[in-house]
Amino acid sequence: MSRVGPASVIRGRNTLLGWSFLLPNFVGFALLTMVPVVLLFYYAFTTWDIFGGAEWSGLDNARQMLHDASFWTAVQNTVYYTVFHIPLTLVASLGLAVLLNKRLRAVAFFRTVAFFPYIASIVAVAQVWNMLFSPGYGPINAVLRAVGVDNPPGWTTSADWSMPAVIVVGTWREMGYFMLIFLAGLQTVPGELYEAARVDGANAWQRLWAVTLPCLRPTTFFVVVLLTINSFKVLDLILVMTNGGPGQSTLVLAQYVYRKGFEENQFGYASAVSVVLFLLCFLITLVQFVVNRRREA
Amino acid sequence: MKRSIAAVLGAVTALSLTLTGCGSGDDDAGGAGDKTLTLAGWSLATTPEFKVLADGFHAANPDYTVELKEYDPKNYDTQMIADLAAGKAPDIYVQKTLKNFYTYQNGKQLLDVSDVATGLGSGANGLPFYQVEGKTFAIPYRQDSWVVYYNKALFDQAKVKYPDGSWTWDDYAAAGKQLTAGLKTAGSKALGIYQHVWQSTLQGFALAQTPGADLSSGNFGYLKPYYTRAVDLQKAGAQVGLGDATTNNLTYQAQFGKQQAAMMTMGTWYIATLLSQQKSGDADKFEWGIAPAPQLDKSTTGLSATPVTFADPTGMGINPKINKNKIETAKKFLSYVASPEAAKALAGIGITPANTDAAADTIFAIPGVPTDAVSKFAFTKHDTKPENPVGKYTAPLQNILNDLHTSVLSGTTDIDAAITQAQDKAKNEVLNK
Amino acid sequence: MTTLVTPAPVRTQPPPARRRTGSRIGRILGYLAMAVASVAVLLPFYWMLVSSLKTNNEVFTIPVTWLPSKPQWDHYIDIWTRSDMTTWLGNTVLLSVVVTFLQVLTGSFAAYGFSKIRFPGRDALFLMYVATLAVPWQSYMIPQFVLLSKLHLSDTLWAIIAIQAFGALGVFLMKQFYESIPDELVDAARIDGMNEYGIYRRIMLPLSTPALASLALLTLVNTWNDFLGPLLYLRSSNLWTIQLGLRTFISQYSAEYALIMTGSVLSVLPIVVIFLLGQRYFVEGVATTGLKG
Repeated sequence: MSRVGPASVIRGRNTLLGWSFLLPNFVGFALLTMVPVVLLFYYAFTTWDIFGGAEWSGLDNARQMLHDASFWTAVQNTVYYTVFHIPLTLVASLGLAVLLNKRLRAVAFFRTVAFFPYIASIVAVAQVWNMLFSPGYGPINAVLRAVGVDNPPGWTTSADWSMPAVIVVGTWREMGYFMLIFLAGLQTVPGELYEAARVDGANAWQRLWAVTLPCLRPTTFFVVVLLTINSFKVLDLILVMTNGGPGQSTLVLAQYVYRKGFEENQFGYASAVSVVLFLLCFLITLVQFVVNRRREA
Repeated sequence: MKRSIAAVLGAVTALSLTLTGCGSGDDDAGGAGDKTLTLAGWSLATTPEFKVLADGFHAANPDYTVELKEYDPKNYDTQMIADLAAGKAPDIYVQKTLKNFYTYQNGKQLLDVSDVATGLGSGANGLPFYQVEGKTFAIPYRQDSWVVYYNKALFDQAKVKYPDGSWTWDDYAAAGKQLTAGLKTAGSKALGIYQHVWQSTLQGFALAQTPGADLSSGNFGYLKPYYTRAVDLQKAGAQVGLGDATTNNLTYQAQFGKQQAAMMTMGTWYIATLLSQQKSGDADKFEWGIAPAPQLDKSTTGLSATPVTFADPTGMGINPKINKNKIETAKKFLSYVASPEAAKALAGIGITPANTDAAADTIFAIPGVPTDAVSKFAFTKHDTKPENPVGKYTAPLQNILNDLHTSVLSGTTDIDAAITQAQDKAKNEVLNK
Repeated sequence: MTTLVTPAPVRTQPPPARRRTGSRIGRILGYLAMAVASVAVLLPFYWMLVSSLKTNNEVFTIPVTWLPSKPQWDHYIDIWTRSDMTTWLGNTVLLSVVVTFLQVLTGSFAAYGFSKIRFPGRDALFLMYVATLAVPWQSYMIPQFVLLSKLHLSDTLWAIIAIQAFGALGVFLMKQFYESIPDELVDAARIDGMNEYGIYRRIMLPLSTPALASLALLTLVNTWNDFLGPLLYLRSSNLWTIQLGLRTFISQYSAEYALIMTGSVLSVLPIVVIFLLGQRYFVEGVATTGLKG
């Protein structure tokens, strides 16, 4: 900033200016998202039953959570999904984006194709994968048997393999989405930098580490944050693929919220669970923000 | 600046609290004039029962009309809960399952209709399920019950005798194995039994038939024989395993209608579906029959005893936000839907009305419905217990038991361990919280 | 506009690598990998297409059949007469266009405020935006529904526009993208006397075409495929969207699996076409709009 004048005037002017940019979005956001979310935080400390009856119950919901084994199973499963889903999707989508940012023949075609899983109806997607994973009749196990695996896993019908199966499908489905964001980010990498690196004798791998990745940092940050949030909130895929089963092997927090609320009409307790989900997710996001800020400096 | 954000937030929250909290009394349900009632229904194009009832009522009371409001069949309760919470629900709405009745009744979303119930006499099956502390909150208009459907052609092919009403579950399992073996010899790929993926296929019967079984007691030992038998049938290959049925999204309509299985247990609602699918070609044309559900022991088998089975009734209740002037009309409508006239009208479209006796002749006059003695007996004579006994803990306990269902039938946990786990969860998470 | 030449001209691709013998094998491997991946990705679509040509009870069978016994092309005619596809498509197109337009416009506008203007409270507010993303919609949809009902917006298309168009996602995405545009560029324009709105419109927007295009596509897809929102808000059948219509259709004709697959194929087609048409904007945005003006 090169303008002269007392700092407070500039700050006042900037505040006005800044808000003038935010306002169109903020009005809708505040009313339609923030207000209900704030209400949700209030309901988390009540016995809300949705038809208006919300009695203040203090920390009762929190206490109930401590003794709720199903809740802890859901926490574990959510973390399980997140820990594997994030790195897998990150590597797959970044790899795809870098690969598809080249002028190879047929790349345009594949770029489109890679985005397909994301736009297809989730019901159809889940259906096909379930059939592919079908333990007795599915092609995946047929291939495994053909290469000599005697006891192929039961995938979505086995407590040990259902979560890996869901993670694979989750990654498959979302990689096209994040690939698109990475592709947009790659457009901002100045060609000169590659040129210079090449002159210095850097090979493709070194160029990726020295040029592409540092330039993509804001985009990568966005993708990681979004992946974290999406993984913690994963719901629709689980609902259509396993519905949380077998047993509780794929029961995740978002599904538990829905169960407690809409199926068992304990909306107060459900709100409390979603606040926990929010806090978990938010803390991790906050850490990511701090780390990002520090690297930026 | 942070302080001003907080101020804005506070103001907006306060505003919305007034918006959501205080304004709730002024909304009129429905909206149309005093002579028009609004009624919730689902899939109106293919579920004619609501229109039949509305038209029938209008014909008997030409001054009044009933307007239908369409909901999504699979998400009916989510939509209805939202509408009730926002004060926009219709005057009369359907209790689609008994599982959610407690939510509505306990949430004070149903008017007391005890006076209507008193006027009905004993004709309506399922009425007691809607009574809480001596008051009635909904009136049943249909009451299905679970029976055995069997494919006569496949039975002949496997050279197995048709069910005659004398079966216990062990007889049923033995017949299933015989059928599978017989069909294999005859070169058919069909299996003896199809058991659909729902938890009710085992738990509904176990709860209804076992003396002393009580969902809310938190003791689930009564499930054991039913699961042991089913796991054995899956292992023997006499029925498709739960895993394969889920991953391949098998439908019971196709499994039975396309002759993939010689018999299955299912509710009486399937009669109308099977008839129309055989007509449209979505199901093969073959001769079929129904028989009473297999029993726990010999004491309730045979055509002279009353077989014990289960199914939830379907009923209607009145939204408390209804315009005061319309309450009487709404009650009149409820009396009508449980009346013998309405029962006959419903039976004419293949529905099992709550007033089953009044409707049997009409059902068996429909072309394609099996009319042998066992089928008639299975349809008319039974002691039907609810799948979801009304209670505060029914919904959470059913969720715990659904986890048990998938866990045992997928082979993840054996039945004893699963029952112990479920009982622990029931105790810690539901009953003693 | 002379100052705008100052930043390094941005080019889309590094120049093609010089041919070496090793790279031919790499290239072949690359194509092979792409071919395998294409099959994996396309399989569900193949299945959708094939299922739409089967008879209803052929759709789910054991074992899976990968070819219809006799293709039922008439499903593609039947669906128009047996359902209100035209109404559903019309509503969905309308909603998608309005929501996408509003989201891209207000999102990129707010993102400029968040990334290029420093003012107190900015970062806290931005964190709040991101924080709300972490709350599952299912847990606050009822309070939101009651609120919109009191505003008499439920059972109107406005409700869907309201809940979809002001999401935090667009703001977040555009902000991250603007971060990668150097501040010096903006400062240079300020020195030249351009005001903030001018900078947003004449520098940031053209520079961010790929990001805008991505955001537009993602919003479009989300609105197009949203099911729970329309389910909760739209009761009148003349307002139904394609997803809501299709699901209601399948529950009405509970065994018409082939027809629902026909519907699914038809519902995905428009997005595929839009994606194909928009291809070059995602990949060549900067190169074509350029900075050299």
